[in-house]
Amino acid sequence: MAGNRLKIKWREYVSVLRTEYGHIFKDSGVILILIFAILIYATVYSLAYRNEVLRDIPVGVVDQSMTPASRQLIRTFDATPNVDVTYTPESMEEAEQLFYERKIYGVVYIPEEYERNLLRGIPAIVGVYVDASYFLMYRQVFSDVVSGLTGTGAEVGFSRLLANGINAPQAEALVDPVEFELKNLYNPYLGYGTFLMPAIIIVIIQQTLLIGIGMIGGTWREFGVYKKLIIPGEKRLSTLPIVLAKATAYMSIYAVTMVYILTLHYKMFHFPMNGAFGDIVSFLVPYVLACIFMGIAISTLFRYRENSILYMLWTSIPILLLSGASVPKEAMPHWLYTLGKIFPSSSGINGFVRIQTMGADLADVRPEVTTLWILCFVYLIVSCIGIRIVLNRSDVR
Amino acid sequence: MFGNTINVLRRELGRIRKYPTYLTLMVILPAVSFAFFAVLFSEGVATDIDIAVVDMDRTTTSRTLVDMIGATPSNNVAYEPQDMAEAERMVREGRVLGIVYIPPRFEADIMSNTQTAVAAYLSALNITANGLVSKDLQTVVTTFSTGIQLQLLMKNGLSEKQAMAQVLPVYFDRHVLFNPFVNYGYYLLPSFLPMMLMIFALTLTVFSIGSELKNYTAGEWFATAGGSTGAALAGKLLPYTAAMFVMVLLMNTVMYRWIGVPLNGSIVALTVGGFLFILAYQSIGVLIITVLSNLRMSLSIGGGYSVLAFTFSGLTFPRMAMSPLLQKLSYIFPFTLYTDIFIDQAMRGAPVVYSIRYMGFLTIYILVPMLCLPRLKRIATHSEYWGKL
Repeated sequence: MAGNRLKIKWREYVSVLRTEYGHIFKDSGVILILIFAILIYATVYSLAYRNEVLRDIPVGVVDQSMTPASRQLIRTFDATPNVDVTYTPESMEEAEQLFYERKIYGVVYIPEEYERNLLRGIPAIVGVYVDASYFLMYRQVFSDVVSGLTGTGAEVGFSRLLANGINAPQAEALVDPVEFELKNLYNPYLGYGTFLMPAIIIVIIQQTLLIGIGMIGGTWREFGVYKKLIIPGEKRLSTLPIVLAKATAYMSIYAVTMVYILTLHYKMFHFPMNGAFGDIVSFLVPYVLACIFMGIAISTLFRYRENSILYMLWTSIPILLLSGASVPKEAMPHWLYTLGKIFPSSSGINGFVRIQTMGADLADVRPEVTTLWILCFVYLIVSCIGIRIVLNRSDVR
Repeated sequence: MFGNTINVLRRELGRIRKYPTYLTLMVILPAVSFAFFAVLFSEGVATDIDIAVVDMDRTTTSRTLVDMIGATPSNNVAYEPQDMAEAERMVREGRVLGIVYIPPRFEADIMSNTQTAVAAYLSALNITANGLVSKDLQTVVTTFSTGIQLQLLMKNGLSEKQAMAQVLPVYFDRHVLFNPFVNYGYYLLPSFLPMMLMIFALTLTVFSIGSELKNYTAGEWFATAGGSTGAALAGKLLPYTAAMFVMVLLMNTVMYRWIGVPLNGSIVALTVGGFLFILAYQSIGVLIITVLSNLRMSLSIGGGYSVLAFTFSGLTFPRMAMSPLLQKLSYIFPFTLYTDIFIDQAMRGAPVVYSIRYMGFLTIYILVPMLCLPRLKRIATHSEYWGKL
């Protein structure tokens, strides 16, 4: 008797699985979302961020001093990696015009008395005007101009001390008693793609699953598929086989695309691959499962096929931000960040980035793994309840 | 002449009343998304990012430096592990962003006039957080070093003024142009909110036309318009255009009035730019559904297209850093043009002339897709194009 029940459940599982595959692969809109979206997005974004950093940002220098010392300072700016002195406008007005035409992104003003002050031992003040309307450019222009200026200052100070008869090591210690050494770990050149792409990939997995599963779920309800699959002699389909069969279908598809992304795509764009393969798999399995169960749970809300994309498309950027991967979590209200953990992507991004980019192991990301398994369990229950409600409704009809 | 348009408009308002999806997409979700971003950026900048300090010296001097680090806005000394191995584990566990290492003999070296160094090892997985923390650490160590330098020089008999000139022979006077608060919200809100509006404007257009094809009602729609494509399209899109225009006004009020995003230029130019931006995406929506004549493909493709726009606006990762081909390609997204208008007008306060050309380009996006109108009439009046999902 019990064996017989199990056999019926198995037949239900198989028929749902077959129908689900059928719906996915017969629907070009769904194929586009579930299979091609991740390939297209991953490629296009990676291409956009391919250069990782911006070099040689054009700036203008208004040199009122026109002396060997001021020309030396201009050469110092030019020698920095991020700044390129493209224009030397005569006046600040001219510089302003170049700026509005987007020909330069910063202006340095060297006053007339620059060299005279240096020689007299009076502080020489240089004006630095940097455009903060593009964040990344602001940071790079500013840091390079300032390091050019402090470098020049240190040189001047050093040679003055030598002139006063102080020996070199002592003069060095006097110019900079406590040096500051900065080492950027895991992404030494502060590359934009290395920083953002892993997070984007993890968000795309979740969003395409939520939207794709929602499309199929809407289709099932729109066309009453649940009724058509009832096994003769049974009153209705059972819940758990439906949920598990759907999960199997999506898991198998994403297993294939993920292998491509984590091997060929990562190699092609030279993203850091420091995680052990076993750790990555053990982390991504609960992640993808949690996304799938959440997707099934949400899909039971949609009565029509197109609802899922209409209602969920806009959420991609908010969900990426909630993870704290781009805007730091310290910049947002703490409760909002905590609430964001109901999305698998928040734990998914934080854990995956640490494993794959830093080379952390599974023990280092234990809190994230635990959260993901809890989410799996909770969304499995919610999706069973949701499917049960849908089945009840289709009974009534 | 306007009779047909009015009839279609009346019919469309009936559809909007009948299907709650429309109102949700026109009003509720845009407002929800505005509220989300307003709350997300309500704190402004990131403060108190956790770091670990490994102090191998443990002297009054080193403790002073640790206190100074903790007092900076971005840094919070959350842990003081005994050694580097423990500190590194904290970084891998994501508990701290990085480590500051103060070497042994730190105080002794300073006292004996020998150069010493403080090292910072910062995770660069989040370059935004890394930037804030490293900037503050750099400042604090430089300040600390300068203080010591002044003391040493004055001990050697220089006056305070002479010592200052020796310490800072070249001084710079910083002027941060146009975003003096350097606040993420001020910077990102004006791009995320229009991004949301754009997604809704595009999907609403595709959905309102595509659902007529899917539900076999396209014929009825064109019959109401008396067979006029212009009347059919104008009457249909008018409610959504109006709703989106109201949302543009709401968006500008939320940002520039309530939240206090700097507005250095012309609000008129920003509003007109916003209207053109909405129209451009509606026009592209018409093009997509007309060419594909299939609601499901059109939503998937339109959705994909709209979400891509943010990256190519160059607001976060500059366009200049992209390949020349991608730089040109970035102009297939009207959002790029709108971003240029916003940067010029809200941030830079550029003269309006500089924005007019971008508005001109936006107009091209409104007009060119209209070339597909003959096909729209064809698919709406021939039943073989109907009933696809």
